Amino acid sequence: MSFDVPDGLYYLESHEWIDPESGRVGITDFAQDELGDVVFVELPAEGDELEREGELGVIESIKAVSDLYSPVGGTVTGVNETLFDRPELVNDDPFGEGWMLELEFDEDDLDDLLDAEAYREQIG
Amino acid sequence: MSSRNEDRGSPFAPHTTDETAAMLEAIGAETVEALFDIPDPVRFDGEFDIDPRGEREIRTELRHLLGRNDDLVEFLGRGHYDHYVPSLVDHLADRSEFLTSYTQYQPEITQGFLQVLFEYQSMLVELTGLEIANCSMYDAATALGEAATLAARVRETDGHRVLVPDLLREERRSVLENYVAGAGLTVESYPSDDANADLDALDETIDEDCVMVYAESPTVRGTIEERLGEIGESADENDALFVLGSDPVALSVLEAPGEIGADVVIGDAATLGLGASYGMGLGLFATREEFVRQVPGRLVGASTDAHGKRAYTLTLQTREQHIRRERATSNICTNQAWVALRTAIHAATLGPSGLVDLARDCLEWPADLADRLDAIDGVRAPVHDRHHFREFVARTDQPAPAVVGDLESKGFAVHAVDDHLVQLCVTETNADRVDALVTAFREAAR
Repeated sequence: MSFDVPDGLYYLESHEWIDPESGRVGITDFAQDELGDVVFVELPAEGDELEREGELGVIESIKAVSDLYSPVGGTVTGVNETLFDRPELVNDDPFGEGWMLELEFDEDDLDDLLDAEAYREQIG
Repeated sequence: MSSRNEDRGSPFAPHTTDETAAMLEAIGAETVEALFDIPDPVRFDGEFDIDPRGEREIRTELRHLLGRNDDLVEFLGRGHYDHYVPSLVDHLADRSEFLTSYTQYQPEITQGFLQVLFEYQSMLVELTGLEIANCSMYDAATALGEAATLAARVRETDGHRVLVPDLLREERRSVLENYVAGAGLTVESYPSDDANADLDALDETIDEDCVMVYAESPTVRGTIEERLGEIGESADENDALFVLGSDPVALSVLEAPGEIGADVVIGDAATLGLGASYGMGLGLFATREEFVRQVPGRLVGASTDAHGKRAYTLTLQTREQHIRRERATSNICTNQAWVALRTAIHAATLGPSGLVDLARDCLEWPADLADRLDAIDGVRAPVHDRHHFREFVARTDQPAPAVVGDLESKGFAVHAVDDHLVQLCVTETNADRVDALVTAFREAAR
């Protein structure tokens, strides 16, 4: 099975992505497939400070609960509150409507992340 | 252990000395001790002093032991309440499908058990007016401990104080303290006023540092707490959880806790389905839906299977420690499924109106007995000027231990609270002995 791994995004080995343009963060197509049906997402509040690879939240599927990690350090400027009512968006559209947070972030952190090619290799 | 048994093994520990030696040799261990490597400080160093006995010998010995039991008529209460359990409960609960299932939680093989637990939860939801009830905890004390740690998790601001009534039963308090020590919480008492909460004193002690305020109705003295709404408001103003202790019989006539601001209801549900013997409990735990992901213990949910049929299954297990490990909501990993089954059957047997009738008796009988004791010279009852449920406290001019001793010699067990206070509990199981008790009391109190 091949998974969607859009170019232009940066990835963490633990399967989170960040869009350097918008600062949006989410989990990858591969990750949502591994988790199965997502039933609950716990996210930080706007204004919270996150550390690079620090805890970003918790995602719960019908078979597991996983911690989420922030790909970069920064401040939360937006939270996708739609996910609280419709967590299945993470499964349906992980890189689109299933985004989780918007961050004002430290650009230096991007250097240590995987690009699409490297991430494809990791999950391949 | 005799050498005869050692050589032959037994059906329960079937290895003979030779077999054990052969197994040790096969894996290269010299002794059983070397195999398990248990550190010295935690080893039991002594003799169990148990002799092997045959079934007949054991039966004889147990009969002898049972013969030493007294046959006092109990008017005791204070947490253990005797209600008549219809024989239907035994007959259904002892069916092998319920009694022998290895685990009640595999939906593919135990729909019946899961349905009963779902019914038990539904009953508590109705009685408490809260949206969620788990399918039980060990007893009221563990449920109280879990309520405190839940409060610490869901509260918006930090805090570490847990407030409980000063009359809280010692066993509940000690389990609570043990339970919350690891969570960095401290347990403090607020005073009572004529056995109910002293609201002025509570208001003085409650502050932002409180995570939870606990109250009981009925209280340990059998009084009905009349100002629960105000306790709830006081807790709410300080962002503390309001936890109420009660039981299903009392709840069937008291105002639904969910409607007067309770965030969690705990208590002992074994007042239905189980006699008062042996001190076994059944912790009820109900709370608001907003805390569903913080609920300790197990939840049975209703769903539909692949064929569209109603099906029951454990739900939200991702909160539990076998999946979430150190971040689980609780370390509790079992419940009292079979006791909950008995409670559900008992409640269903009574039905809603039967439950209310039972509860009304629990209001009327103690009031009646208190009136009759009050008419005796040297006795005042009830001591607390409150409505009572099941039990009440009486004051005796004679020393309470002497009165209790005298009553015991006449065949009645009552509890001495202190030098001049005795506590009495009346339910349908001893109501027919009230006349005799009053006669005995008149003599004892002289």
